[in-house]
Parts: sequence; C-alpha cells; structure tokens
Amino acid sequence: MFQGLANGFGIAFSLTNLTFALIGAVLGTIVGILPGLGPAATISLLLPLSFKIASPVTSIIMMAGIFYGAMYGGSTTSILVNIPGEAASVVTCIDGYQMALKGRAGPALGIAAIGSFIAGTIGVIGLTFVAPPLAEFALKFGPPEYFALTLLGLLMATLLGGTSVVKSLIMVVLGLLLGSVGLDPISGAIRFTWGFFMLQEGVDFVTLAMGMFGIGEILINLEKELTTELVTRKITHLWPTLKDWAESKWAILRGSFIGFFIGILPGGGAVISSLVSYAVEKKVSKHPEEFGKGAIQGVAGPESANNSAASTSFIPLLTLGIPGNASIAMIFAALLIQGVQPGPFLITEHPDVFWGVVASMYIGNVMLLILNLPMVGMWVQLLRVPYAILAPIIVLFCCIGVYSIRNTVFDIWVMGIFGVIGYFFRKVDMEPGHLILAFVLGPILERSLRQALLISAGSPFIFFSRPISGAMMGFLILFILIQIVRAVRGERLKAE
Amino acid sequence: MGRVKHPGPGFLPFGLALCLIILSLALIFKNLKGDNSSTPFWPQRTWLRPLLGVAILIFFAFVVEWVGFLITTFIFLMIWMGVIERVRWRTIISVSIGTTAALYLIFALLLDVPLPMGFLKW
Repeated sequence: MFQGLANGFGIAFSLTNLTFALIGAVLGTIVGILPGLGPAATISLLLPLSFKIASPVTSIIMMAGIFYGAMYGGSTTSILVNIPGEAASVVTCIDGYQMALKGRAGPALGIAAIGSFIAGTIGVIGLTFVAPPLAEFALKFGPPEYFALTLLGLLMATLLGGTSVVKSLIMVVLGLLLGSVGLDPISGAIRFTWGFFMLQEGVDFVTLAMGMFGIGEILINLEKELTTELVTRKITHLWPTLKDWAESKWAILRGSFIGFFIGILPGGGAVISSLVSYAVEKKVSKHPEEFGKGAIQGVAGPESANNSAASTSFIPLLTLGIPGNASIAMIFAALLIQGVQPGPFLITEHPDVFWGVVASMYIGNVMLLILNLPMVGMWVQLLRVPYAILAPIIVLFCCIGVYSIRNTVFDIWVMGIFGVIGYFFRKVDMEPGHLILAFVLGPILERSLRQALLISAGSPFIFFSRPISGAMMGFLILFILIQIVRAVRGERLKAE
Repeated sequence: MGRVKHPGPGFLPFGLALCLIILSLALIFKNLKGDNSSTPFWPQRTWLRPLLGVAILIFFAFVVEWVGFLITTFIFLMIWMGVIERVRWRTIISVSIGTTAALYLIFALLLDVPLPMGFLKW
C-alpha cells in the first residue's frame, strides 16, 4: 500500500500532473465561487477535452480537482453574498452570512478553508486505506451482488436527496430508459434508435451531460437576475483566533467523520453530509440558540463535512465502479472515455491511475488551502464578473466542445434538445442529477440483473440466497419500509 | 421481450415503462389531491430570456458550418450580450473579440480540433 502511494506521489509530482492538478484546483475554486455553475456542470463542460488529454491519470487528476476544489470555493459565496456558490454550501449561508454581517467575514472564510483542508485530508487518508481492501473484497462480487448494490445506490441517492420521492423516481426511470437506447448488451438487438444510425451506440453521455447540466443550468438561470452583492470588500483577520479555533475544532473533526461515512455510502455525497453536519452541530452545541445568528460551528462543521465526503465519494467509484452522485458519474464517464474500466480491478490493473489520483488529492488539498486562504481576496473579485458575460461564453464552450468530439453539428442539436429538456426538468423541480446517475448505472444494472437471472435459471431468489447480496437486499427493503412508514406518518401529521 | 426466466432485450425497458406509468399516475393523483394554489408557470414574461437563448443556440447550429466558426461565434456573443442582456457596448465588443480569439486558440491551435471555417477557408 505504501509502495503504491509512494509511486503515486512519483506520478503526481510530474510537471504535467502538477500543472493539471493546479488547473483543476483553480477551476474548482472558481466554479465553487460562481453561483449558477456547479462542479457537475463544469466537469461535463470539460469532458470533450478529456478526449484530447492523452493520459487517464492527468485527466482524472484535473476533474477530481474541480470536484473537491468546488467544495472549497462554495463557502466563499455563501459567506459573502448569502447565495450558495454550489449546492453543498447551502447551509453555510445560514451562519456564514450572519458572521459576515457582524464583520467577521475573515474568520468565517478562514475557518471554512482550514476546516476544508483538515477534512479533505482526512477524507483522502480514508480513501488511501479503505479503497484497496474494499476493492479486494469486491472481487468476490458476482452479478447478483452488483445488481443489489447498484439498486441500493440508485434508490438511496433518490430517496435521500431531492424534494419529492415520486419525481426523483421518475427521473431515475427516465435515466434508465435513456441508458437502454442502442445495442442490447447481451443479445446485440437494437433498441429505441428510431432509425437514427447515430443512436446505435446509445445516447452519448457527454452530449447528454453537457445539455442537461451545461445548457440546462444556463437557461434556468436566464430567468432570474443573478445579482451578487458583497457584504464587504475588505477581508481581514482570516486566521482564526484561539477562541474561534477552540470553538470549532470539534465541529471540524465531527464534520470530517460525518462526511467520511456519508461519502462512502452509495447515493451519499457532499450535499447530504453538509446538511447532516449542520443538524448535528446544532444538536450537540451548548448554545443552540446561537445557530442562525453567526455560530462559527455552523460554518466549520458543514464545510468540513462536504470536503471529506467529496474525497471519500471516490471510494465507491474506484473500488466498485459505482458512482454515488452526478459529479462522480461524470468522472466515471471520463474514465471510460480514457479506456479505464472503474471497478474492483482498477487498483490492480491501473495502479498508476488509482495511486496517481489519490496522491494528487493530497497535493491538491494543500494547493487549495493556499488558493483559498491567502489568496481569497483575488477570487472574490470574480463575483464582479456578471453572469451576462459568463453565460454566452459557457454556452459557446459547450457547443464547440460537443462539436469537437465527432466533428458533427448533429451533436450540437442533440445537446440543445437535452438542454431544453433539462431546463423544463429544473422548472418543475425534477433533479437532472438523478437522471444522469441512473443513465450511468443503467447498463450495469441491466447486465447484472440479466446475468444473475441466467445463472439462477430465472429464479429471483438468487438475490436473497447469497449472503452478500442477501444482506444488501435486506437493507434495501428495510430502507424502503422506513421511508414508507415515514411517508405515511407524515401524511397523518399533515391531516391532523 | 422474453420472460422472467429468460429475460430478453425488451425485458428491462418494459418493466421500466410500467414503473413510469405507475409513477406518473401517482404524481398526477398527488397533484389532483393537493391544493391548487398554482403560481403561473412563467411569471411576468420570464419565458422570454430562455427562449431567446434557445433561439440563438439554434441560429448557431444552423449557421456555423457554412459561415464558419470565427464569424458565427463573434455574432453569437454580440447578440447574446446585446439582446438578452444589456451589457455596455464597449464590453460587448471587447468580450466578443477576446472570447472568439481565446476559443480559437484553445480548440483549433491547442487541441487540434478541425473547426468549421466556412468561406474563410483558403
């Protein structure tokens, strides 16, 4: 393991990889700060470029950097503008903005960056030690286990995040259906191509992702006026005082561990972990009345949790080949583009990719600490760039990016159509992230389901009779039952 | 389609379609039951700007192959910032030129993407 990590650092410290890690960290910070452009959208914008980057390590290092870098940047906008820079920083607005109003923007930004660094590093350490044994364990998995695991991941992602369970489930089903377009993985039959030759290989993930996330997000933002008014231009006292530090050190540690575990869960991720962390901090605090009025723990906890979760959500991707959220689904696609199959064999077959990326995450966190602590004032200026200028540039980037893959205008059309669909989905509160996740997991789900049924000659009991998949299915049923009970109770409470 | 014992290529799509029908019915039922204090889908002409955005996108897709990347991109930026948004003229022109040049640099020169050059091809 340590040999692997040492080799990884050798790879990550090459000039190219350091440069791309820095590009990723800078881009991540920028999109984290800019509201209306999240990490998932940004990674989708860069997917066409990943065809041009020769080495898989380099391209994944950059994309990973964007993902965890955005967790750093997001807090800045939450604190200074009271708008979340990206989804995982929503709760940071509550107390972060209050701190800024009280003239404590500096310490809030400082503790967010330091907490992010500590938690991010704890998350990467977790990734280093948990991933290899987990991958080895996952080698025992057959089709039934994969089916159970994928189903679990999909259902947990939809039931935990999102407003309406029915809407989330519809998105999942639509994603799975879209994923089934093209050649059937087992018999080779052609499905749902409507005679379009271009659709035989299935709906192209990059085009779909860029449309749903890139174009869709811009279109919905065109409806609202995104104005960003800063609380303060001058940011002083970034380094937290001893008192601030004493108040928030446990929040940071708790946040790190909450993020750690929620990140590993299928369907878990940075957004949920920050919400959980905020709730926990409020509960354990001796002064819960201070929450909402500028409690530093309310910034330190969630900001740590989302960073830790961002790092550990690479664990299910790199060991099981099952992405847990939309951003990770984009990285999953990038790996496939590079010809690397994510899954239990990744660590043994592509040790350079795994260890290179892991090592780069240690380095990336240091880079981000520097970018976000002494240099935060520089990034804040970015908030002055109006969305009016940014939006057309992003749309053009999407158009040319998607064109560059196959050199055909057809793909621009398809992306545009997905963009409009994505716009309407957002309009009616349906989360496109669920669709993307289901689209990626669909083929895995179908293949494992049909292979399992072939093994068992059609008996669905195969999912319950094998110990590992049985346990997963048991957990899945329990989870669904709890949700149903909660839903019924909720209805009753409302009725009374 | 096959049977449960021997699932064929239509097995999963059929099951999914069934799920979709049930879920849609559930959603319709839920919305019928709930109170209908509806807000308009697009309050106060908010549909206009997204629609314009889509229109410009369609224009881009139609025109880019025969007018060429450079001119189309430049016009795209001018229209977007001038019509959808009301940016100052000086900003519009400098951003349009700067972005067109930067995109050309990144894609055509750095990444070797054969961009359509239209009648500027020589």
